[in-house]
Amino acid sequence: MTVTAQKGAPRRVRTPVTGAASAAVRPVLEAPRRPARVLAVFPAGAYLEVRTELEPSVIAVITGTATRLPNALLLPGPLPRLTVGDEAVVGDGAVELGPLSMRVRRWWDPAPHTGRVDPVRLERALPALAPDGGEGLAGNGNIELLTRACRTGWLLGVLTAAEQLVGLGPGLTPSGDDVLAGLLVTLRHIGKSAGVGQAVRVGDWLGATVTYDARTRTTPISATLLHCAAQGAASPEVCGVLRAVAGRTPLEPALSRLRRLGHTSGSDLAQGIAIGLEAVLGMAGRGGLSGEAA
Amino acid sequence: MNELVTLRRGIYHDSVSLMRVSKALSDLPGVEVAIVAMATTLNVGLARDLGFEVPACEPSDLLVAVRADDPAAAADELDRLLDALSRQSAAQAADLPPRTTRAAARSVPAGLALVSVPGEHAFAEALDALEAGLNVMIFSDGVSLEQEVRLKALARAAGLLVMGPDCGTAVIAGAGLGFANVLKPGPVGVVAASGTGAQHVTCLLDRAGVGITHVLGVGGRDLSAEVGGLATIQALRMLDADPATELIVLISKPPDPSASATVQAVVAELSTPVVQAMLGATDLTSATAEALRVLGRAVPEWPSWEPDSGGRAAGGRLLGLFSGGTLCQEARLVAGHGDFTDFGDDAYTRGRAHPMIDPSLRLEALDKAEEGDTVLMDVVLGHGADPDPAATLAPAIAAAPARVVVCLVGTEGDPQGLGDQVSALTRAGAWVFTSNADAARFAGGGAR
Amino acid sequence: MNSLLDGVPRVITAGASLLEESLRAQAIETVPVAWRPPLPGTEEALARVLADPRRPEANARAVQRLLAAHPQLVGVVRASEILPERTFLHAGPPITWERASGPMRGALIGAMLLEGHADDPEQAGRRIGTMTLDSCHHHRTVGPMAGLVSPSMWLFEVRDAVHGGTAYCSLNEGLGKVLRYGAYGPEVLDRLRWMDQVLGPALRDALLRTGPIDLRALIAQALQMGDELHNRNRAATSLLLRELAPAIVEAAPGHAAEVLRFINGNDHFFLNAGMAAGKVCTDAARDVPGSSLVVAMARNGTDFGVQLSGLGERWFTGPAGVPDGLYLGAYGPDDANPDIGDSTITETGGLGGFAMAAAPAIVRFVGGEVADAVNATRSMYEITLAEHPVYQIPGLGFRGTPIGIDVTLIARTGILPVVNTGIAGRVAGTGQVGAGLVKPPVEAFTTALTALANSISPQ
Repeated sequence: MTVTAQKGAPRRVRTPVTGAASAAVRPVLEAPRRPARVLAVFPAGAYLEVRTELEPSVIAVITGTATRLPNALLLPGPLPRLTVGDEAVVGDGAVELGPLSMRVRRWWDPAPHTGRVDPVRLERALPALAPDGGEGLAGNGNIELLTRACRTGWLLGVLTAAEQLVGLGPGLTPSGDDVLAGLLVTLRHIGKSAGVGQAVRVGDWLGATVTYDARTRTTPISATLLHCAAQGAASPEVCGVLRAVAGRTPLEPALSRLRRLGHTSGSDLAQGIAIGLEAVLGMAGRGGLSGEAA
Repeated sequence: MNELVTLRRGIYHDSVSLMRVSKALSDLPGVEVAIVAMATTLNVGLARDLGFEVPACEPSDLLVAVRADDPAAAADELDRLLDALSRQSAAQAADLPPRTTRAAARSVPAGLALVSVPGEHAFAEALDALEAGLNVMIFSDGVSLEQEVRLKALARAAGLLVMGPDCGTAVIAGAGLGFANVLKPGPVGVVAASGTGAQHVTCLLDRAGVGITHVLGVGGRDLSAEVGGLATIQALRMLDADPATELIVLISKPPDPSASATVQAVVAELSTPVVQAMLGATDLTSATAEALRVLGRAVPEWPSWEPDSGGRAAGGRLLGLFSGGTLCQEARLVAGHGDFTDFGDDAYTRGRAHPMIDPSLRLEALDKAEEGDTVLMDVVLGHGADPDPAATLAPAIAAAPARVVVCLVGTEGDPQGLGDQVSALTRAGAWVFTSNADAARFAGGGAR
Repeated sequence: MNSLLDGVPRVITAGASLLEESLRAQAIETVPVAWRPPLPGTEEALARVLADPRRPEANARAVQRLLAAHPQLVGVVRASEILPERTFLHAGPPITWERASGPMRGALIGAMLLEGHADDPEQAGRRIGTMTLDSCHHHRTVGPMAGLVSPSMWLFEVRDAVHGGTAYCSLNEGLGKVLRYGAYGPEVLDRLRWMDQVLGPALRDALLRTGPIDLRALIAQALQMGDELHNRNRAATSLLLRELAPAIVEAAPGHAAEVLRFINGNDHFFLNAGMAAGKVCTDAARDVPGSSLVVAMARNGTDFGVQLSGLGERWFTGPAGVPDGLYLGAYGPDDANPDIGDSTITETGGLGGFAMAAAPAIVRFVGGEVADAVNATRSMYEITLAEHPVYQIPGLGFRGTPIGIDVTLIARTGILPVVNTGIAGRVAGTGQVGAGLVKPPVEAFTTALTALANSISPQ
């Protein structure tokens, strides 16, 4: 229970603040204290990398209207002034960062709940999800391979394409990762609610493959988000589109909210969702995994 | 002892804030009694009962009545406390905050109104919410039955939900409103006519590793003949339509037969399974176990803790000192004997805060217990409750000659921290249970 | 119906701040209401009126008519054409000579002299009993200050192009010593005679040439040019003059210069046309059973009166207060008469004090700072049912002016209508001594609310 484990971290009295967090970060937050450091700072948030084997190993500390990422801890007030490299401590129920000691008073569920869904509805949603030109990897051969392989349930094709896509593209969350994250969440949730077990199993394989060495193949934040997606956790914008796809809410507004995220992130995630829907539709009614290209 | 009675014009603060101020003043050394309250007929009556001479006044005046060695010092402290309250409200909305729920609803989109103004004024705010298309939780009690029926009928027509009046607990997508606990997300939705009942069930579920989607309170009178379960039905339908809710737990007091029949007909139509915790027919712990079985989950042993060092012997009377009405009723039924008091009842909360915030009446009662007696009490943690109930309770328990058994309702995630409260209470010599039924059974055995 | 459960809602909180604090501690967005108990003694009436099942639709209908009304200036008529025999109209709720204040008496004396019913002021006072006095509002008419209307005065005639109503208001005499402030000296009467013989006919003939003038559009424009249409009418007067000038030259070539000079010399010339517009709009909202909408606020120098849509022509009154404002020359508060005039029809119709934020040039009246003017308008949204779709305030991002006073909201918030006004001298014959703000008496509104509650038949 002593704080001295962090060499050089000055002992200080921190102001207690409370907020809300995605339930996905609960295991990391409630594990014993671990050192962490600030990876990146934004006007409405910062990423903390925690020295832990658990996932999510990157926690987004956010405020205001910042996207409620599935690895986020949300504060009601403004964040302190932070610099990349600042030290922090995460664990025993708290995040200690700068002058603040943050605790969680509310947990939100980062998984979409779509209810049972009829494949006919999914078919109807597909046209709206067609690429809008904002995707970072438009025309990339591996995206095409991934789409084709998903449609036919060709597992090797899916995994081969995914291997090439992890970490592909510029930025903190490369486009390839965003597409895969959208695909993973869709396979898991829509596959389950449409009763297409094969899609869920493909999702499991895909999740295991892309998370296996994600920490060495892409940025830390993107690796964490891939882990979250493999567990079925996503931002409210992604969940909103999946609920809309299932016919619970109007699709167009949900989709435009998603596409507004980041530079290409929103459109890349939407592309991943579209590939996932094609996969679920393609696998609906067919039995086991296919070992070869159709 | 000197007295000071003053009326201040043009100042308004809500009753809970003023009760905190009153309590802070009363706790000052040399202060015998301090009343800081809006000069309503009730509060003026209370002051007169305490022997203060109160001049003619309006309910919009702030009444200050202090009996102390040095009332002027108390008045200075009062100025400081009131100033802090005013600054706080000024900071909340620097420029022209909305003055009605209607104006607030027009200023920015919202989903829910939480109304806790004095009961006789709650109708207007709740009506504003419904007319603006908002769901509403009425924390206030003292709303007339006629107004309750009217609000709920309007809500039904508009597809909205009225939680309350006198709804102390709700959780919407993890957001705790009123008295609620910090719970993990999960598959269970709760409809409850009893706030502490809902807190108990959800805390046990959380302990068993099962989270909740929403807790929808309906108010204690919803299943009366007059209201006919209007909000219960609406809440059941909402949870049934919610894809995240896989199981519904319906917690109610014994309902009116016709209201019950209407509700049962709705329950039968739902596609989501419903576990019913009807007090009297079952206890909350058994209903929780039933819910776990329906979900296919194991029913754990509900944790309990012995006193750190030798608990006191029992054999005398059994005294139940409760803050939650439902928990009190349940414990009385389970124990089968004893003398039970619900300090959350209107008779004890007139002019003072709920025992979940202000423990003084219960501490007085605990102090009066005798050697050999068993005192059974509930301690409820969570949002809105006393930030550290053990801080005042533990010394009283340690000092009491009676055996003390506590039902502790809370989760590890609560602001007070279940574990810290358990340690403090057991160190003081209390037996602590997470199940109220278990606590009552234990306390009932060995006591008369 | 499930949107409540779709995510964490933003929560409006009214009441205990402890509950609001605990929501913020969970990073839940809150909108705290600065709730206060309602005006003392209104609790029961409020509960009954709010519970009246007719109220929401009645108010929606009344305010919808108020907003939809489209006032057009269609003519100028001599009052003798519409007044009953031996009748004078006056501002505010009905009043007798005995209860009348200085300026009201002065105006009555002036009217007696003007109409030749008396030879001198004393005789006028003695003979006033031979005349019938009635409230302007009872004759689809409004008048500023004393609001005196006698047969030889000319009236603006304004029609509501949507609902077909008609309303009248006298012509503005200008500032200084004028009848409406209770002055009745020879120069006052001479001016009134000139208005009868020259101005009235010229305007009548001019309007025959222009056809109806769209006052709704004109008022909307004037708001964007810095008028609030009660204490500042400079832009509106200029706009009206632009519309009328060519027609006046054509219709009355011999008098055009003096007529145009007269209008140009009076920044408040438009006020009376605007008041008739306000009257025709608020009249459209009258007589909706169950409605708690205020359709008239008017003062006679002694009483401040209020009428509700749901209660027909009944007046609810309280003592008129002395305005708080700025004084001309050496005049001061001791020289001021209690509040007087029908010009509060502008506030009733969402202008004047309610549109204060549009008129930074006259913020001296409300405390001196532009922020005070903005706050005056913003606080009026608390007690009104709607925002005007056409009357917009540039400084508030073209938000519509607050319009449609609901007496239940006054009782709930204790916020009284902000009323801009001129200040009349206390002594008959003095004229205007200043201008400023007046606080309406709260009992006018609370008694109206009680009467509305009592009018609801038990369910």
